[in-house]
Amino acid sequence: MKKPFKSWLLASSVAAILAAPAIATANSDLEKLSQNPANWSMWGGNYAGTRYSELDQITSSNVKNLQPAWSFSTGVLRGHEGGPLVVNDTLYIHTPFPNTVYAIDQKTQSIIWEYTPTQDADVTVPVMCCDTVNRGLAYGDGKIFLQQSDTVLTALDAKTGKRVWSVQNGDPKLGMTNTASPLVVKDKVLTGISGGEFGVRGFLAAYDIKTGQLAWKGYSMGPDADTLIDAKKTTTWKDGKVAPVGENSSLSTWEGDQWKIGGGTTWGWTSYDPKLNLIYYGSGNPSTWNPKQRPGDNKWSMSLWARDADTGAVKWVYQMTPHDEWDFDGINETVLVDQEVKGKMHKTIVHFDRNGFGYTLDRETGELLVAEKFDKSVNWATHVDMNTGRPQVVSKYSTEQNGEDVNTQGVCPAALGSKNQQPVSYSPQTGLFYISGNHLCMDYEPFEVSYTAGQPYVGATLSMMPAAADVITGQPDGSTNLGQFTAFDAKTGKIIWSNKEQFSVWSGSVATAGGVVFYGTLEGYLKAVDAKTGQELYKFKTPSGIIGNVNTWSYNGKQYVGVLSGIGGWAGIGIAAGLDSGEAGSNSEGLGAVGAYRSLSSFTKLGGTLTVFALPN
Amino acid sequence: MQAKPTLHRLLISAVLAATATTLQAKEKFKVCADPLNPPYSTQKQDGFENKIAELFAKKLGQEIEYTWFPQRIGFIRNTLNAPVDEKAVDSKEFKCDVVMSVPADSDMALATEPYYQSTYVLLIAKGRGFDDIKEARQLADLPVERQDALKIAMFDRGPGTAWMQKFGLLDMGIPYQSMSGDEDNNIAMQLDQDLKAKKINMVIVWGPIAGYLVSQGPKNGYTMIPMQSTPGIPFEFAMAMGVRNGDKERQQTLNKLIAENKDQIRRIIESYHIPLTEIKKSAKPKDDD
Repeated sequence: MKKPFKSWLLASSVAAILAAPAIATANSDLEKLSQNPANWSMWGGNYAGTRYSELDQITSSNVKNLQPAWSFSTGVLRGHEGGPLVVNDTLYIHTPFPNTVYAIDQKTQSIIWEYTPTQDADVTVPVMCCDTVNRGLAYGDGKIFLQQSDTVLTALDAKTGKRVWSVQNGDPKLGMTNTASPLVVKDKVLTGISGGEFGVRGFLAAYDIKTGQLAWKGYSMGPDADTLIDAKKTTTWKDGKVAPVGENSSLSTWEGDQWKIGGGTTWGWTSYDPKLNLIYYGSGNPSTWNPKQRPGDNKWSMSLWARDADTGAVKWVYQMTPHDEWDFDGINETVLVDQEVKGKMHKTIVHFDRNGFGYTLDRETGELLVAEKFDKSVNWATHVDMNTGRPQVVSKYSTEQNGEDVNTQGVCPAALGSKNQQPVSYSPQTGLFYISGNHLCMDYEPFEVSYTAGQPYVGATLSMMPAAADVITGQPDGSTNLGQFTAFDAKTGKIIWSNKEQFSVWSGSVATAGGVVFYGTLEGYLKAVDAKTGQELYKFKTPSGIIGNVNTWSYNGKQYVGVLSGIGGWAGIGIAAGLDSGEAGSNSEGLGAVGAYRSLSSFTKLGGTLTVFALPN
Repeated sequence: MQAKPTLHRLLISAVLAATATTLQAKEKFKVCADPLNPPYSTQKQDGFENKIAELFAKKLGQEIEYTWFPQRIGFIRNTLNAPVDEKAVDSKEFKCDVVMSVPADSDMALATEPYYQSTYVLLIAKGRGFDDIKEARQLADLPVERQDALKIAMFDRGPGTAWMQKFGLLDMGIPYQSMSGDEDNNIAMQLDQDLKAKKINMVIVWGPIAGYLVSQGPKNGYTMIPMQSTPGIPFEFAMAMGVRNGDKERQQTLNKLIAENKDQIRRIIESYHIPLTEIKKSAKPKDDD
């Protein structure tokens, strides 16, 4: 780990043969690619982020015959988030730090090229808070876009793996890193920034896909000029209607200059509506961790954003958790579907937040339509006031109202949320969303010890435990499962069915026209369930725990399902980094996750592998 | 993770009771430390933690061995709990066995008895219009025009910020990150530069950092005013050494050394201008399993 990893290129003869003269460059191509279900050309399968595939060869009746078709070791330990991209005949996968990219020929399952960026492990790894994950690649304009851990965004020639350009998107010296998957929209590639624990001020940046030149950058907090908010044109939901946000709406919710180290980082997923030309994403938790030390709503941390794709100008913004007291980071993905809500068709945006509420808003205007718990064990707020859009906080579970040095017990969900970064899927066949969920609560003691400069330790002691309550009713039931896989109707806010999982479901799901939904488990199972009923139809244990996203595509007329396994991430960090001493004393390492996931090490071990499944010939 | 090595050592000491000390002597005193974290530790080994580690290694007759890693979130995970060979998943050999300072009630590592206790101080640069301040509380009562000139460094975590908030001084705060990602510059060095450049006039800062600032600043350039703990805002903290959870044998060895070398430890720390307060026994019940 002491030496920088060297970048290198495998200039194999295979690569030379396959290097076609030039591929189409106009980026409307990307939209076309994503409409062909043979491909899986972006993180969500399409710009709407539905993670739905029109492929129907694998069905609820024949999925029981599914078999692994081939597999590939990535050669890297640690947590493998994100999933394979498939563009025409080539499959692209990525690894956690050192962020190796492999282009694999589907025909021969051989490596066309591989690329490992030059990154200084000594500089980057110490500033990555929660395992060295990466959420995947983006494709566009004949290039593969890699968001490196050290914040460098790199464009690689998709045919040869040769680096076309690189741009420094942030400064690791300031605690900035990046784990997000970029998104290509028209002539730009979008990326965010991580590092809320260091007091990094979050932003979304757009770079020219040809040159890497910065096109625009919109911060999560600060003066309107920085956030690209227009006091008159940008709207938010207040007093039961959509209204202009007003001047410096972010600054007025912070005391003094604290917004300068305000957090609101952007390490999740971005989606795009080509007709409205708006991009959508969520911003993370405010910094500092101790809520008492940052009075105010701390806008616009933990908010949903709609920005103009060309200019970054903010169309609307909505804050889900004003003045966070629980680390309910708002970065989870946004899914864009058109639905009828309360008798009226809307172009909606659907978002399942860490805070346990599923939100449905009109994505043109930002009108709040539905906000309901997708796990009824959630107790920190009774409900979202539909007039103000604010959650109604329960005093007993307010870490701030209880004060510093008080251990606020039994807060649900735990800091890792009712759902974390693992993206949901949506099936237009059933009209349901499929949520990979966590089912934990926590004891949260802010600032039991508060060392600052020179003695940096997390200012909150967390310990997590099973929610021990029913997802659908919220009634205590003594259950010990840490995960749930839930089908939810975002039109009405109703839970339709929910399956228990022993551990958190930290894998993004995929829904298909075959009536099947696939997801992975922390023990390493790839599972297929019936989209209508949730009945388990198939499972297969892959070599390591799954925190990656299941994707599906077809090649030569055959449907494939693929997923990266490789335990790690927040839930798996106890295993990934050997934190678990087996003693109660190590519970709060990994920001509280170690204790709750202790027994996971009996089920799985480290190691990155791509496993590709298909029906037998 | 610890069961095996401990058992192994117990077996050996049972069989070879007579030679147990020689065996221990062959072990190295393996410390993980930040390569640039004055006044605690530096790669030049001139921090007070380096000096105490040297003292302990000498007492044990062991050679000292450092693994350098910046001390931030994930430090314990990447050092004390990290196997030497990252690919050897079930390896029992770790990058180090001791971290020279952890909070006395930390549960990320098994903490020894505390070996020093310090406090936060309000450190004010002299000759900038605040030489009359004798007590932190006075800042809150200054007339507005004087308050505007305070320029207090403020961190995103810690009791100093809570105190400033209590007395309505957040608007005078100049925000700083409490963790830097910069391998060439740490917070104490940044404060030193910014105090000298008059970007800030004062800071409420943990004692060891205050000691560093005094050692680097102009002679008699700063006033140090200890902060007074209140039930809501504690300023005094006890620091201990950390070993891996479960490594009770090593914890006991270090506890013995801490007790036996109390005066020498104190002399080392005081030579770094660090304000020390009397170590209070933690009220927190200890794990007894």
